[in-house]
Amino acid sequence: MNVLTVLLLFTAFLITRVSNLRLAIQILIVQSLGVAVACVWSGLGSELMHTYIAAMLTVVIKAGMIPYALFRVAARLRNETENKPILSPNQTSLAAALLLAVAYGLVDQALPGLGRDALAGALSGFLIGLLIMITRRQAVLQIVGLIMMENGIYLLGLSMTRGLPLIIELGVFFDVMVAVIVLGILTFRLKLSFMTTDTTVLQKLKG
Amino acid sequence: MFELILTALAIPFVCGLAVLAIRRPAAAAWFNLCGSLLTSATLFWIVRRFVAQGPFHQGGFMLDALNVLFLLIVAVLSLTAALYSIPYMAHELRDGHLTEKMIPRYFFLFQFFVLTMILTLVMENLGLLWVAVEATTLVSALLVAFSLNRSSLEAAWKYVMVCSVGIAMALLGTILLYYAQVQAGYTDVQPLGWFALSENAFLFNPALVKLSAMFILIGYGTKAGLAPMHTWLPDAHSQAPTPVSGLLSGALLSVAMYAIARNLAVFNLLPTVGQVAGQLLVGFGLLSIGIAVPFLLLQHDIKRLLAYSSVENIGLIALGFGLGSPLGLYGALLHLINNAIGKSALFYVSGELVQQYRTKQILRIRGVIRVMPVFGGMLLALVLAVSGLPPFGTFLSKLTIIQAMFHDGWWQGLLALLLLAAVFAGMIYYTLKLLFGEPPANLKPLRLSPAVTVAVGLSLLLLVSTGFYVPVWLDALLRAAVVIVGGGGR
Repeated sequence: MNVLTVLLLFTAFLITRVSNLRLAIQILIVQSLGVAVACVWSGLGSELMHTYIAAMLTVVIKAGMIPYALFRVAARLRNETENKPILSPNQTSLAAALLLAVAYGLVDQALPGLGRDALAGALSGFLIGLLIMITRRQAVLQIVGLIMMENGIYLLGLSMTRGLPLIIELGVFFDVMVAVIVLGILTFRLKLSFMTTDTTVLQKLKG
Repeated sequence: MFELILTALAIPFVCGLAVLAIRRPAAAAWFNLCGSLLTSATLFWIVRRFVAQGPFHQGGFMLDALNVLFLLIVAVLSLTAALYSIPYMAHELRDGHLTEKMIPRYFFLFQFFVLTMILTLVMENLGLLWVAVEATTLVSALLVAFSLNRSSLEAAWKYVMVCSVGIAMALLGTILLYYAQVQAGYTDVQPLGWFALSENAFLFNPALVKLSAMFILIGYGTKAGLAPMHTWLPDAHSQAPTPVSGLLSGALLSVAMYAIARNLAVFNLLPTVGQVAGQLLVGFGLLSIGIAVPFLLLQHDIKRLLAYSSVENIGLIALGFGLGSPLGLYGALLHLINNAIGKSALFYVSGELVQQYRTKQILRIRGVIRVMPVFGGMLLALVLAVSGLPPFGTFLSKLTIIQAMFHDGWWQGLLALLLLAAVFAGMIYYTLKLLFGEPPANLKPLRLSPAVTVAVGLSLLLLVSTGFYVPVWLDALLRAAVVIVGGGGR
């Protein structure tokens, strides 16, 4: 389990340094595969069928369909990279390290007595995803941040309660998938209307 | 009853798919109205059966006094919005804002939007409730972006991003609540089921539930447009097609408040958690009313004006929930109904003005009362209603909430009253600017389509009648819902 936590954190930190859209999506695939392995891992001890189903869905949806949809969007966005993020890669990495410390602090405060490292890793994955969403201007990178948050929440659930009941899990997967489709449509439309997917152009509505 | 709920879900589903096959815009609009009529009739029937038979629970669905109240809101608003969609879409087509090909897609999304809202309300499981709330965001985002111009895309992007983050927080809170349930040893009961929670939640670890409450309230609070998480609301509500603005402001915000109320009912079973959750809601509520004031006093865009008024009203409702006293809860629930009806109708009126004057700028819309006397009268009446003046139902509900606040402590009540006075000043100042003055020379007095008059007139009628008299069955529903939210279990 510790290896997987390290993998999750490694991918999260890697994304803080990436400005290329396709590379970010590839890193996201690695992270989602790690989440799926963690899911199988937690199911090994028990005889719970539903963790295997959840792991399979993670692979199919988060490492398959969502990256596929994002790659398709990215394929239409030639010349789009993260040029001037709100925090530079160095600053973002530093902030991510701070968030990791915050996550450990929060877990010690609020949820003592559980697998400390796994929880803190998952929580910092969630927080770093949020950080990416806030500090990146490229639409696709914001979507990647959202999926990272989702992965973090999923791992939190996994390490606390071995995941949610299957029916709810299915609903969450469905929602995540539809969310990416909707965001993909919007990104594509942004490119058509604004000629760019840099979200700094979205500042007309005020007051 | 189970069949009725399934019917209420199946009708929008089938109609939504079927409307895609209709090519002619007018036919699609009327078909949509028929679908909404059937859905609303089914919902009213469910309410009637509920009043006669009492609570119901089967196969993942449930009905109790709390969600039946909200079903009532969805039933009324989906009907008026479908009515208003007919002239609105026809006008947009005439002006060339939309193409004929886009119309069936609008009605498809409309029906699915209503479907997801009904689904949210009838779910027994708090986890599935979350799933349905997220689904409402996704469907309505496509409606916000519907006209696909730059500003609507901007609004939709902000809407999905902010609300997805918020709703992710709510998921985290829900998982924490599940963990609290597992930790307390209830693994054999329905996980996150409302009935299991309302029976056992008082045995959960309070520290854990407190943490869960914070995440859940921030999360669903984002969806409900409570300050400081309200930033997406004025954009989304002003850029959506106006019938949808009405649904977003009236129905969807209410559905988000339902999610808060249902979770609050669990938190209130643990007195320490209920207290913290209440304080958080009171804070959000006061902040929402306060933040809306400057934007209501200095506003150029008529739809944004109404959107900020929604922030203010939802803030007042959150206040009522946060106080936790029966009086506050009663006022909040009654105000949800009144505000939903009044605000949606006001959006329909504003949409008609925007189409006639071809601008959203308040300062360019003048002399409404000369060009459209009846319509101007309805506009004035609705603004007075939304601001909470007698003889409308909103007066009663706002007064009840304020009264509950004074019971809690005089300074809170005084602060809320002062803020509400400022809000009223802003609303009435701009309304008078709209109503009087010299109308533009090129504007001919136009005849209103009967559909708008019926939709707005119906809303006004309902508002006036709740102002004078809350029917016995509605009063009983409200009282039962107050017990549920207050932590009285079933």
